[in-house]
Amino acid sequence: MAPLLEVRDLVTAYGKIEALRGVSLAVQEGSITCLLGPNGAGKTTLMFSIAGILRPRRGSIRLGARDITGRAPHVIVAAGIALVPENRLVFANMSVLENLRAGAYQRRGGAEIESDIERLMLRFPRLRERAAQNAGTLSGGEQQMLAVARALMSRPRLLLMDEPSLGLAPLVVEEIFRIIAELHRDGTTILLVEQNAHLALQVAQHFYLIEQGKVSFSGSPGALAEDEVIRRAYLGSAAR
Amino acid sequence: MLDILQAVSDGVLFGATYALIGIGFTLVFGVMHKLNLSYAAASVGSAYAGLLVLEVMAGAPAWLVFLCAFAAGGALGYAVYLTCFHFIPLRSPLATLMATVGMLLLIDEVIVHATNGMPQAYPAIFDDVMLRAGAFTLRGDLLLVFGVAVLCMIALMVLLYRTRLGLATRAVSQQSVAAQLCGIRVGQVNAMTFVITGLLGGIAGALIGASVGALSPLLTTPLTVKGLIVTVIGGLGSIPGAIVAGLLVGGFENVLQHFRGVTERDLYVMLLLFAFLVFRPDGLFATKGGRD
Repeated sequence: MAPLLEVRDLVTAYGKIEALRGVSLAVQEGSITCLLGPNGAGKTTLMFSIAGILRPRRGSIRLGARDITGRAPHVIVAAGIALVPENRLVFANMSVLENLRAGAYQRRGGAEIESDIERLMLRFPRLRERAAQNAGTLSGGEQQMLAVARALMSRPRLLLMDEPSLGLAPLVVEEIFRIIAELHRDGTTILLVEQNAHLALQVAQHFYLIEQGKVSFSGSPGALAEDEVIRRAYLGSAAR
Repeated sequence: MLDILQAVSDGVLFGATYALIGIGFTLVFGVMHKLNLSYAAASVGSAYAGLLVLEVMAGAPAWLVFLCAFAAGGALGYAVYLTCFHFIPLRSPLATLMATVGMLLLIDEVIVHATNGMPQAYPAIFDDVMLRAGAFTLRGDLLLVFGVAVLCMIALMVLLYRTRLGLATRAVSQQSVAAQLCGIRVGQVNAMTFVITGLLGGIAGALIGASVGALSPLLTTPLTVKGLIVTVIGGLGSIPGAIVAGLLVGGFENVLQHFRGVTERDLYVMLLLFAFLVFRPDGLFATKGGRD
């Protein structure tokens, strides 16, 4: 089966420094694919390159049959990719509702947008309670849920999530992962960046390890858990 | 006592034009985090452009001149966006700033050239109306200036808080990366911000011309300075701040003009600016950390 997202030999640079040095990966439709890797390995650069915020220097990105390499972010959103960025980046001085409407910016048809908001409020009851509040007043976990909901408002075919658990309390992280599992069950395709390999192992079907701008491992959860080096670096030396 | 009240009220009414100019500076800063120093000059330039109607159609009514100034303001705003921002690398903070300084001087020179540096009479509306309460009067033309300015502010607020474009504008100003991730085209929003502030500037310029009774190239520099002072006092990026500060500066300068004369008053306006920079550098309505 052809993958939903296919990245080939992608090179993205900041000035002369290449943050991605030829990354190739594929995300199958309906799967959760997880990207592991140390800080500075290029995970966020890859996410921004796919979403169109950064322009890759070489290589290609395909969504289904469509080449989206180097296209502008609004084109990529329209093509069906939404990114939940690292650190959430909610619109702090806008209400929760306005944040969600901004997420649906490219869509027409107010009634359908409102019914999507209604549906998301059922999934994230906390957001309903705080619908009229400014997003800046929300807790970190609530902001993360808002960022996810905002991304879903564009009805993406592929959801990119950049470290959704970053800086959140363990209970909140569990909730976020429960939501990720739910989205997966509903058929959403997800590419997830996650430092916490234990949690990622519970949800993802395929893993990539990125180190210094290159993919250094690709495999199933089983293969990941068996790899001695990875186990030591990402799962702790104690076998679980 | 009554004459002080009179000076304050006249000043506050005229201050509405400063508020509009301040809004123009502050809105562009809020969205792009850049200063457009040519803004007040472009506003005066648009007001001049309104006079072109009289060239084509002698004896055209004043409202047509105003309308033409309004439209010219929008067009000039877009032109300033293209020349000073669109094709200039935004990464370099000095490049766009200097481009707008250049534009300020260019507009000034064009005005001087086109009018031979002579002041041009500007049509007024309601200048024969006078509301009286004993010795206290309200000038009809100043009331019109104030009323139109307030209508513009209301229209701007409706645009920002009740429309899709407004939502996009606020999103870009708070978090431009996230706005892009929502599919909002930042370049388009920036351009529209210049058109909208340009329209406001055209109105402000025409209102100033109408209440002074004439336009002169000598207006651009003091208006630029007042606009910037209003922006600083109100708090960079704050629209309510610009409104309050505009009225405040208008009232303040008119009271000092009353007591100390027209040549001395701007001295005190500058002192007011320094007082704010020392004691309240973020202005009256400092924008809270909208960006994280």
